[in-house]
Amino acid sequence: MKKWIAVMCCLATVAFGAEKKSYKIAMIAKSSTNPVFLSARTGAEAAAKDLSQKLGVEIVIDWRTPPTEDGQVQAQRLAQAVNEGVDAVLVSCSDAGKITGAINDAVARGVPVMTFDSDAPQSKRFAFYGVDDMATGEQTMAELAKQLDGKGNVAILAGNQNAPNLRKRVDGVKKEAAKHPGIKIVGVFNHIETPQDAAAEVLRVMRAYPEVNAWAMIGGWPLFTKTLLTDLDPNKVKIVSVDALPAELPYIAKGIAPVLLAQSTYLWGYVSVERIVDKIVLKKEVPVVNKMELVRVSKENLGAWARQLKAWGFTDVPEEYLKLP
Amino acid sequence: MFRRLFNSQQTGLVLVILLLGAVLTIFAGSHPDRLTGKPINNFLNSYTLMQTATDASFFAIMAVGATLVIISGGIDLSVGSIYALAGVTMALVLRRFAVDSVWLAAGICVGIGLASGLVNGLMVTGLKVHPFIITLGTMWVLRGVAFVTSQAESILVPDALTEVAKANLGLGAALYPVPMLLMLVVTAVGAVYLSRSVPGRYVYAVGCNVNAARYSGLNVNRILIGVYVLSGLTAGIAAFIGTSYYGSASCADATGYELYVIASAVVGGASLSGGKGSAINAMLGAVLIVLIRVAIRQLRFDQNYEWIIIGCAIIIAVVLDQASARLATRRLTSGGKS
Repeated sequence: MKKWIAVMCCLATVAFGAEKKSYKIAMIAKSSTNPVFLSARTGAEAAAKDLSQKLGVEIVIDWRTPPTEDGQVQAQRLAQAVNEGVDAVLVSCSDAGKITGAINDAVARGVPVMTFDSDAPQSKRFAFYGVDDMATGEQTMAELAKQLDGKGNVAILAGNQNAPNLRKRVDGVKKEAAKHPGIKIVGVFNHIETPQDAAAEVLRVMRAYPEVNAWAMIGGWPLFTKTLLTDLDPNKVKIVSVDALPAELPYIAKGIAPVLLAQSTYLWGYVSVERIVDKIVLKKEVPVVNKMELVRVSKENLGAWARQLKAWGFTDVPEEYLKLP
Repeated sequence: MFRRLFNSQQTGLVLVILLLGAVLTIFAGSHPDRLTGKPINNFLNSYTLMQTATDASFFAIMAVGATLVIISGGIDLSVGSIYALAGVTMALVLRRFAVDSVWLAAGICVGIGLASGLVNGLMVTGLKVHPFIITLGTMWVLRGVAFVTSQAESILVPDALTEVAKANLGLGAALYPVPMLLMLVVTAVGAVYLSRSVPGRYVYAVGCNVNAARYSGLNVNRILIGVYVLSGLTAGIAAFIGTSYYGSASCADATGYELYVIASAVVGGASLSGGKGSAINAMLGAVLIVLIRVAIRQLRFDQNYEWIIIGCAIIIAVVLDQASARLATRRLTSGGKS
């Protein structure tokens, strides 16, 4: 018995003294049924693979995203991840208020937390990576105003009303709209963040407000369906939307959405994992706010963007766009 | 006595929970402690066990109330919405008057819960419409009221509330036993009410045979209103502790939780046709469901299968329970004949 205790003590000492060779990063996005977060996961896993090879350590992504958006469940999963000994947590907050306590608990127990896409600025997270939401809203409206020559009735498609990042984008759209006297905001429309629910909401609004001739979409949810390709007339309605994933590209080609403002969702995962590795493995200083730039996608650069998506591992990029110059 | 203990459903649930706990302890692996480097079992550690109990407590508290409704032969689909409305109202009032009184906060949640339950009970008995329809309607109405009053904002609650809900009671940092203790208290009160009080036995009587209960002189309407009020009360209590624990309230809180709550009661052996159920079993049912969720992650199953696994587990639990009940009835019958 004494021998066993001695062996265990030696092993523990060796383990304690040895340099750490394996790191586990828990990744908690808003919803595992939203394609943008699946591409973020692909990016995170690619970064983990690349950095593992480069640094000679094992970096593993532990995907713990709930199937539907629920800030409370995110907080529970974050706590579970800490209990199971992960080395860092990467989270996109469905409800910053709900998850701030769990982030602070994790940090208090020595687990660094980084946010991406949707921040929890009041928490003790060490860094955030994502777009400037106010500026994103402003840019969306500015592009739409150009398409409308400064005149039109605009509806705002706003996603989940509890997400602080989306609320800021809506504020940005309104702020920019105020600079264009010919533009009237008809309303802000929230919905469940699934493609079908979002598309149904757009069609409901079009029937209820026939004067609407433009949509400022602060997320691209309905463009993941084909419904609006046939149900909206590009001569009567224009859309400018955030996000430009493969399923949304036909909306550019058909002219319904002349401009999409792409968040490089793949980079949410890739860059965030790089920052976390900088912090926990390389012990580098990491800036608190890491700003992501939007990519303007239109007919002019559709081919190049399609090829970029393909290079990031998207398998559903339509072949016809890959062939474009 | 041992045979009775062995045959009891509570023992069965406890055994399943212990068995699942043992499987998790063996197969969930371990990780080195951040400070000492010593290996810590991923499941059998104080943090994970407390977290599991905490996660279960919000469902379990509501499940005790929902079980009363189910025993009476009804159903309450509005508990998640009552939770959201109570939390949002509490947060709005505290913010509007810039107060951080824990007692006021608890009073608001309990008051909203009682009032919502009373509305459900009055409508079920007064309109003579099936409770499924009434509570389906109030589920939407109450969540809509929460949505309109909060303007869909996520409202932070004062730190004083979070300090109470996350008091460690001397257990050490990041161990918060208050939700679990509240769950145990609510369950104990529910169990005593159902098994040791006359009004509790009336609930079983109404659920077993409403006409027989009426002809026996029981005021069925009053009993039914009472169970919906108690269901609302437990939703209000859960809202108070849940909102305080997580530190904010929004109209989307507890969306879909009614199904977990009903599932907890059913896994705990409550019969949707009424007359059967227990507060302790409902709590154990909630713990089992949360434990299954924990197991999916700790045993490294693809978490996309979570809904499938939980759905199958609920069906299996109910089928096994019914099979065991049929077996017991057959034994009794054959025993009587011989």
